[in-house]
Amino acid sequence: ASPHTHHSRQLDVNHKKPVQTFRPINIAHRGSNGELPEETAAAYLRAIEEGADFIETDVLASKDGHLVCFHDVTLDATTDVADHAEFAGRKRTYEVQGEDVTGWFIVDFTLEELRSLRVKQRFSFRDQRYNGKYQIITFEEYILIALYADRTVGIYPEIKNPVFINQHVKWSDGKRFEDKFVETLLRYGYGGEYMSDGWLRQPLFIQSFAPTSLIYVSNMTDSPKLLLIDDTTVPTQDTNQSYHEITSDAYLAFIGSYVVGIGPWKDTLVPPDPTDNRLGRPADLVARAHALRLQVHPYTFRNENQYLHFDFRQDPYAEYAYWLDEVAVDGLFTDFTGSLHKYQEWTRPYRKEQEKTSPEALLREIAGMLKNDGYD
Amino acid sequence: RPLFPLPSKTKNEEKKPIQTFRPYNIAHRGSNGEIPEETAAAYMRAIEEGADFIESDILASKDGALICFHDVTLDDTTDVAKRKEFANRRRTYEVEWFNVTGWFVVDFTLEELKTLRVKQRYSFRDQQYNGMFSIITFEEFISIALDADRTVGIYPEIKDPVFINKHVKWADGKKFEDKFVDTLLKYGYKGQYMSENWLKQPLFIQSFAPTSIVHVSDFIDSPKVFLIDDISVRTQDTNQSYWEITSDDYLAYISKYVVGLGPWKDTIVPASGNYLMPPSDLVARAHAHNLQVHPYTYRNENQFLHFNFFQDPYNEYDFWINTVGVDGLFTDFTGTLHRYQELTSPHRKDETANSLLVKISQMISAYEGL
Repeated sequence: ASPHTHHSRQLDVNHKKPVQTFRPINIAHRGSNGELPEETAAAYLRAIEEGADFIETDVLASKDGHLVCFHDVTLDATTDVADHAEFAGRKRTYEVQGEDVTGWFIVDFTLEELRSLRVKQRFSFRDQRYNGKYQIITFEEYILIALYADRTVGIYPEIKNPVFINQHVKWSDGKRFEDKFVETLLRYGYGGEYMSDGWLRQPLFIQSFAPTSLIYVSNMTDSPKLLLIDDTTVPTQDTNQSYHEITSDAYLAFIGSYVVGIGPWKDTLVPPDPTDNRLGRPADLVARAHALRLQVHPYTFRNENQYLHFDFRQDPYAEYAYWLDEVAVDGLFTDFTGSLHKYQEWTRPYRKEQEKTSPEALLREIAGMLKNDGYD
Repeated sequence: RPLFPLPSKTKNEEKKPIQTFRPYNIAHRGSNGEIPEETAAAYMRAIEEGADFIESDILASKDGALICFHDVTLDDTTDVAKRKEFANRRRTYEVEWFNVTGWFVVDFTLEELKTLRVKQRYSFRDQQYNGMFSIITFEEFISIALDADRTVGIYPEIKDPVFINKHVKWADGKKFEDKFVDTLLKYGYKGQYMSENWLKQPLFIQSFAPTSIVHVSDFIDSPKVFLIDDISVRTQDTNQSYWEITSDDYLAYISKYVVGLGPWKDTIVPASGNYLMPPSDLVARAHAHNLQVHPYTYRNENQFLHFNFFQDPYNEYDFWINTVGVDGLFTDFTGTLHRYQELTSPHRKDETANSLLVKISQMISAYEGL
């Protein structure tokens, strides 16, 4: 088959295996970044291979206005920027969410310059062998990775640090970061309310910690949105509202007009005891969110024992069991999408058609039982 | 209904038998990933979590009592360093050709050992049970298994026999190994592997010392497993190298005395830079000699997992059970291994005639609409 035919077939979103909607969704947080450097093409391809329902990314903007997939506003922790002599003079200090931050800022680099960098694994205890092999990718490249997958894979992009981005990046047409974000989605055919035909063909959740950004884009796209919620000590970056305000019943009812769910930091849903690394009593946020018909997609689940409370006995599957069976969340952001997929396939598998017992199989079973009882 | 079960009913009570259809789940020092090792609580937790066997290291106290304790020194897992009355008991002895300094178990009576409290060995594990539990005796360990509500095997190790025999003397002139076997026989352990007696009270005797295994073979026909340390470690009694004791000649010899090997897992599948290298042929050769392979030790924490397993202990179990094909696994996290095995090769649920009739009825009712 010619390459064109191959691409056409893959882009034919009407005839792919659909995204599952019968069990909580598996959201590959920054791709399979437990294995590969985060938010790279390889991390997303690996996540798709491992069974992710959605691939998650953080969208920021370069100096020349390109939307890129990158988690931090600084390049320091996950790229080799510090090794580039030509960029040594680019280090700056900017205010980010009320605090001074020093580093190499993404908004000070053109896309071409960002492309010259190589991404590396953030955590020292993870596999380092892919360091320096992959580039930062654009939001469009990320979307194409999902669209070219051989099954329906959803995307879960975040409008990341919009106050900071809008402050430092200007587009010649006077548009805002959020406008550019939505334009890209529309250009690639993303549209439709949650669980609509359009959505099921190209599943999408738009996430942000900034409620005003979510409200703003609601005028431009009817795709489902989630309000991300940080730790209890962190106010919203745009409206400076406290955790307790944005998780009040009144606020949830208000934001419920714009979002289909919330994405809280998991330790706010079930706060741990600070002294002994054990779970405390669950907050009532999940119950209240569900009462208002809001989904709950907590972040971030990680396999490593330093991230597991002792109740889970260093076993990441015990953590999944707790959050899926007891807390009953609707989706999970995980750095280890393969582990979550494996766990869900073992405990809530896709229903296999063969499970219907055929008369022949049943007769063989009867014959086996009779033989066991001594009949021949 | 009588207030107490009638004697005939008591006798007829049968425990759920030990599973023999999938690799053994061997709780290494009990569930010591959660609770301080080799304590009653660690073993009871392991039984609760589904262990097929509970594993222990048997040493001896100054007054000859057999106890469950992993190290010859008390330093790492007890509060001995805080006990002023024992401050002057610190000694230096030669252990397997090296000088070791510490508080040695052989310098304390059982009564003194019982005053100590066990603590978690690793800083990254749950510390909440530190100081709550005592060292237990070999007899107490056996009773924990026998009192379980299902059949649970024991997997005791004749630990550091050269060192123990050098420092502990029994009045009747017996050796450490003799005392070890006497205890097992006293509690009714006997029978060759998979015999009726073995299935009632499953037991594997393990040791790194081949002469100890050969010695006890004259006293007890229970199955034995020869433990194999890292490739750089020589046997403590016969000073043989790894290469010698894993040669075909030696396997043929030792298989007359043991039913299997218990190698350190990184000798079966060597690792370099935290990545797996091609497996050695030890499992294949052991199986060719009709020897089982029970590697040690599986731990959930990412610092113990090679990168090939993507920080996921279930991937490690999958590799060792399905790709390497081992017959048992010593694990610090018996609950995790049990969960894995129940998810992938579960106990077959009893198919009763009634449940089959329910299936038939469901099939027929599907046609009722026609």
